[in-house]
Amino acid sequence: MNQFYLHHGQSSELAGFPHISEIGIRKITSIQLDSLVTTATASIRIYYILDGKFEWNINDRCYVLYPGDLAIILPGQKFGGTKGFMDIGTVCWLSLEVNQTDQHKKMIVGNWSGLSKSERLTISKILQLNNTSVLVRVKDAHTILQTIKDELSQQEVAYATRVNHLIDELLILIVRQSTYQMNLRRDFPQTFTKLEQTLREDLARQWTVEEMAALIGLGTTAFSEKVKNYTGFSPLNYLINIRISEAIKLLRRQEMSITTIALETGFYSSQHFSTTFKKLTGYTPIEFRKKT
Amino acid sequence: MECIITIELGTNAVRVFAFDLAGNVVASSKGSYPTFHSQPDYSEQDPEQIFITMLYVLKNLITEKLHPKKYDIRSICFLASMHSLLAIDKHGVPLGNMITWADNRGKKEANDLKNSDFGKMIYNATGTPIHPMSPLVKIAWLKNHDPERFNKAYKFLSMKSYILQQLTGEYVIDYSLASATGLLNIHSIAWESQSLDFAGITSDRLPQLMSVFSSPGKLRKEFQTSLGLSPDTRIMIGSSDGCMATLGAGVWREDKATVTIEDSGAVRIVGKEVLKDDKQRFFNYLITNNCYVSGGPTNNGGVVFEWFAKQFGDFSVPFDTEQIVDGLIRDASNVSAGSNGLLYLPYLLGERAPLWNANARGSYFGINIKHERSHFIRATIEGILYEIYSIGKILQEHREINSLSVNGSFATIPFCTQLMADIFNKPVHTVANFSSAARGAFLLNAIDMGIYPTLEAAADSTPFQETIHPRQQDHQVYARYFKIFEKLSVKLEEEFEEIANLQQGVE
Repeated sequence: MNQFYLHHGQSSELAGFPHISEIGIRKITSIQLDSLVTTATASIRIYYILDGKFEWNINDRCYVLYPGDLAIILPGQKFGGTKGFMDIGTVCWLSLEVNQTDQHKKMIVGNWSGLSKSERLTISKILQLNNTSVLVRVKDAHTILQTIKDELSQQEVAYATRVNHLIDELLILIVRQSTYQMNLRRDFPQTFTKLEQTLREDLARQWTVEEMAALIGLGTTAFSEKVKNYTGFSPLNYLINIRISEAIKLLRRQEMSITTIALETGFYSSQHFSTTFKKLTGYTPIEFRKKT
Repeated sequence: MECIITIELGTNAVRVFAFDLAGNVVASSKGSYPTFHSQPDYSEQDPEQIFITMLYVLKNLITEKLHPKKYDIRSICFLASMHSLLAIDKHGVPLGNMITWADNRGKKEANDLKNSDFGKMIYNATGTPIHPMSPLVKIAWLKNHDPERFNKAYKFLSMKSYILQQLTGEYVIDYSLASATGLLNIHSIAWESQSLDFAGITSDRLPQLMSVFSSPGKLRKEFQTSLGLSPDTRIMIGSSDGCMATLGAGVWREDKATVTIEDSGAVRIVGKEVLKDDKQRFFNYLITNNCYVSGGPTNNGGVVFEWFAKQFGDFSVPFDTEQIVDGLIRDASNVSAGSNGLLYLPYLLGERAPLWNANARGSYFGINIKHERSHFIRATIEGILYEIYSIGKILQEHREINSLSVNGSFATIPFCTQLMADIFNKPVHTVANFSSAARGAFLLNAIDMGIYPTLEAAADSTPFQETIHPRQQDHQVYARYFKIFEKLSVKLEEEFEEIANLQQGVE
């Protein structure tokens, strides 16, 4: 079956799924002008190519997609055909509503998900940080999408739970695959350098070991062990290392207040900063600043 | 019980060891720091991160491993990688990051100087090959391309000088590290005026020179408290990692050489005279008056094999390079010496000794239809070791070498150690200690404390673990292939330059 389309608000099948705004499979046999103009929406849009060759603009970059490839468009990202229309071929897609968290445009999937809140937060963060729009050769995604479609059409017992589980599974697959695709998982030093760069770019954030591990595609145990082996420190101690090194530079510049420096470099408070700093350097931040 | 701490500020990590006075390692710890490559040819590190990492590791070692066992810390001795440069302002605040030995931004400055008569004079006076690695060239680069930083710089320091200044308040540098800057006259042991002219500075913008046995002063009070050290703990300035790896490998006689292969590598000998070379191929670094460590460095050591492993290894467990390397070595050992005529030039990172050609590139040569994956593995290892041998070979034109002592993670892989014995056709000794450089620093300290009367006696105290003898039959094979290897490395000079230029255009 090559044509299938459900749209929230029109299709009764989706009545129990407010988070699914669209799901469909379509075989395109002729070109129709303006069939895929560039838009940005508040949903996560996932497209999987079954057949044909598609030229798309995603988040201001051009991609050519082939069968087996998957595109993921995050809320607010622009997406459309390079020429404004859908190319010839077969594509299936799923459009998911997400909640915006209070802090600057961070997204999180809703409570329908079987994932814990911290898992959901981590998945969103990793998707945003990786910012990988196209995943290549993810055949498993097709199986999941196909099963979601079948469950929605056949509505056997407990199908609602099954559909939500399958969406969770799809998200997990995408987030892991996007990390694997970014890191070849061969060169730990190189991958770790990339991670360190990401940490430095947002030192004020309260990074968890789980997030750091997910960013390079390892479980927390394996990650901690690798980091310890490579750097000599546990992940969180290594992070403290970076925080203090950055703080020293800011202290020397004599421009910011101690509290600002503490928060900028990721300490909870100036007190927390002060104790950690003194324990390591022998000086309180104030003494250190005077010394310079 | 008394102990001595050595702190090695290496290329990627700080390694801290504690030795008892008999030279046994009683505790050790390491902490790594990143290298930043903001542009091609740039290689920098954050001096504050290195300092904090060092403090962190040192503190943990002392409080977790030494204090509970009631060790009394007699002294702390420093050693560091060579050629680093950090400019600081008059308040001691770093002006930008520290520039590492691997930084090549001064290529043009180095080339122009090297090919001039002035360059020849500077090389003969300082013993440091004219190369972008040398702080002499780096300062000249700053003068030409970053005048703001150059003019603001109150002093130009080595990384170790900066750390010691943080700890004691004094701006100092030891003879060994100074002799690797291209700014020190190794015969008179004073800053060389021709170098200073070229760099555009006066000697008051450099740290104060000190013998490797000296102390810059006491640890600042704050650090005594935070580290839990007594004011009597002696701070010893120490030496460079290269010089200390030689001392710690037990090589202090003129008929021996050490081979160190980590990511990069070097072949070194020790002597009372400098090696003179018209082609400027050797370094001559100073340990004490009239005592020189001479030799040649290669860029392409273990890093090349690691590159091979990452590209062609079969990764079933993510990031497990170690397991991959083990498997590859096993496959290589099933191929006979000479890899059935497959040759490899390992110049992935350009090359220093003996070619001194930044444009040199890698190449497999002689591939035929019968060569398999395992031949490529073995050829890669053989290529890295032929390159090491090519340095040893020209050293032998100056000095007779009867045996080798090896250290470093790549050189001590038993398969590689045996190949070195075969290729050099000389017995190869391995030493028990896992860090020859740290052991060297311990010995330096022990001499200072009167435990050993001389450097020779200290070096002799290092026990050899094992001696590997060359296999004649294999040596004959390698000798024939090496001739072709050597010819190729010279013959391809023009093509190296052409391909390097094209590659630079692509980047």
